[in-house]
Amino acid sequence: MTRREFMDELGTLLGELPDKERLDILADYTEHFLMGIQEGKSEHEIADALGSPKVVARELLAGYRITQAQSNASVGNMTRAIVATVSLGFFNLIFVLGPFMALIGVLIAFYGVSVSLLVAPLGMLAQYGVPNLSHERLFLLFGSLASVGLGGMLVIGLVRLTKWLYRQFLRYLQFNVQMIRGK
Amino acid sequence: MNVQFKKGVLELCVLVLTAKRDRYGYELVASISEKFHIAEGTVYPLLRRLTQEGFFTTYLKESQEGPPRKYYQLTEQGRQYMNDLVLEWRIFDRGVNQIIGEGLGYDKA
Repeated sequence: MTRREFMDELGTLLGELPDKERLDILADYTEHFLMGIQEGKSEHEIADALGSPKVVARELLAGYRITQAQSNASVGNMTRAIVATVSLGFFNLIFVLGPFMALIGVLIAFYGVSVSLLVAPLGMLAQYGVPNLSHERLFLLFGSLASVGLGGMLVIGLVRLTKWLYRQFLRYLQFNVQMIRGK
Repeated sequence: MNVQFKKGVLELCVLVLTAKRDRYGYELVASISEKFHIAEGTVYPLLRRLTQEGFFTTYLKESQEGPPRKYYQLTEQGRQYMNDLVLEWRIFDRGVNQIIGEGLGYDKA
């Protein structure tokens, strides 16, 4: 690989970084190449010793993401930091992340149930029209009131549960990010 | 060598190398790869991280020949961190060597 090829590939791989950061990084490697050439090494030799631009970019991206996640805690930033780190080879994190994904699945299922409880009466209305006072219709009316009530309570409970889980999830991710940095 | 293992050692090495005087990147990479094999490109991400964590400050200095060099200077915090790591390494090193010695029976000779 020539210097040009190395720098082009690294520059492309770092495309998602802010310009200032990316240019600063590229300057480090340019300096490295120029110094090596000055010592009489060939561009190929220098590039070989540096290793694959992919490996270098992975390290840099993980470092960037972790810093972002630490200075600005959000589920998105934390998750990106962890994904970037997992790509470096901390595979155990993904196994710990599994249960969380399962939990989120269960949560979504409960939301589904409560939404269907809430809209079920609409179905009844559509099928039977506005209930009158016959026994059968009265039963349907109370049934739909119960359904809406149950659905409503379930939603309120779920919203609380979700908020709580969100905080736990963030704490857990924060813990992971700190572990990645070795603190 | 195990990658995670090497990462920790690499961190210790760059910190120690800058203990006596400020160094520039190429110099650090060269002194380390002289002793053991590394993917040289990964030293720079490490230097960036240590700088972000406040263990290094950097400055550019012109050189007679060639491009200006980015120098890494150990901060007070960095020096403290280095001392902690060196101590940890010594304890670790002694422990591992004792186990190797006992395991292979060198101590009985």
